[in-house]
Amino acid sequence: MALNFQDMHDPRIMRVVLAVLIVASLAMVTVYAREGEGGVLHQVQSGAHAVFAPLGLVGSSAGAAVEDAGQAVSDAGASEETLSALRQRNAELTELLTQSEEYRLEAERLQGLLDLKDAYQIEGVTGRVIGRSTDAWNQTITIDVGSSAGVETGLTVVGPSGVIGQVIGVQGGSATVRLLTDPKSGAAALVQSSRAEGIVRGSLSGQLTLQNIDAAVELKTGDVVLTSGLGGSYVKGLLIGTIVRIEGQPGDGSRTIYVSPNETPQALEEVTVVFDAKSEQATEGQDE
Amino acid sequence: MNSARRIVAIVGALVAVLLQAAIAPAMEIGPALPNFILAFVLACAVTRPEGGLALPFALGLAFDLMGNGPVGGMAFVCTALSFACMRLSVVLDNDTLFMPIVLIVAGSLLGNLVYGILVLACGAGIGIGEALVGCALPCAAYDAVLALVMFPVLLRLMRLGDAQMRVH
Repeated sequence: MALNFQDMHDPRIMRVVLAVLIVASLAMVTVYAREGEGGVLHQVQSGAHAVFAPLGLVGSSAGAAVEDAGQAVSDAGASEETLSALRQRNAELTELLTQSEEYRLEAERLQGLLDLKDAYQIEGVTGRVIGRSTDAWNQTITIDVGSSAGVETGLTVVGPSGVIGQVIGVQGGSATVRLLTDPKSGAAALVQSSRAEGIVRGSLSGQLTLQNIDAAVELKTGDVVLTSGLGGSYVKGLLIGTIVRIEGQPGDGSRTIYVSPNETPQALEEVTVVFDAKSEQATEGQDE
Repeated sequence: MNSARRIVAIVGALVAVLLQAAIAPAMEIGPALPNFILAFVLACAVTRPEGGLALPFALGLAFDLMGNGPVGGMAFVCTALSFACMRLSVVLDNDTLFMPIVLIVAGSLLGNLVYGILVLACGAGIGIGEALVGCALPCAAYDAVLALVMFPVLLRLMRLGDAQMRVH
């Protein structure tokens, strides 16, 4: 059977190869759908993320390099004799300024994470985002901390201002995090003001909706939504977001409640994987 | 058998995988992310109808492994679409650009729809309308544009390869 990259002119061989590959791929889909997160194919996929994720960093670095190259090309048009020294000095200063601005922004983000860790008394490990989802059907990120740092599947992950998702796959030095905005995500939640409980779900568009809320509960835009800790999948009391729009009235069982997430997934650069948090104190603190 | 064409296909496949892993996440337009792998498979199928199926299968599998969708889903789509496009290219070839363009656009649409259905079947937790209209269609348009850009480049490279072979 020709399973190499050779051209296949014989239609019979081609059909046999087609049948074998179709059966193999559908068998993999079936196994993938039936096995759990710890299944063989999930593990292989998680391992592949660790390999492919650094390429994403190369890609973003390449983008920056292209910008620098473009700038260099435009500078080349000026008079070299009179301006070269000034240009060189200017380039050095610009580089220093850019670098210090980058450090300032990084410090700001890390300070946000530290503040959150202090506020919620979070015990956990902080890592950098090294990869993002390569397809439109999933919203995940890959981070550079894994099982060697104590990260396990199912742990809650927070950004600078609240919960952003959950670990779904772990390798030695990296982990895959499914964001709250992913359609497969669902977090048990409660509305801080009314204590009404429901489930926050993601969607393909990245919009969060609060579902399964008692129809009689009165809600208003601006209400804060927290994780409730029910089911044990997310640590209790962490900020999810605020209600931004309500379609329907109290008593209407089919009303749709939209929640604005705290974090823009594209802006995430550092996150903390939560091992433990004094979440009840945090909830009380926010109630006051 | 033309080894120059095969080399072009293999090098192109490696470039497509690198682009998908490195560049695609930063090329989001609305709900659509580009699928360089599907676009390359389609462009390659219409420019190289005598090609095999192992390369599209391997490319699809690479896409499945680097993403979070069902493993085997894109491998199935790439293999089946590649076969269909190669057969139709041979049968319907009329030496115009019309047929390859139609095959690429239809293949991109069908590929994204079938992949969307597979994702739904594996429990994506979304409605079929949201999946197909909100994601599959925008992605199909994006991939069709990419494949239509890749098509003349591949065609040119393969003709160059043919010319090189004749010289030797």
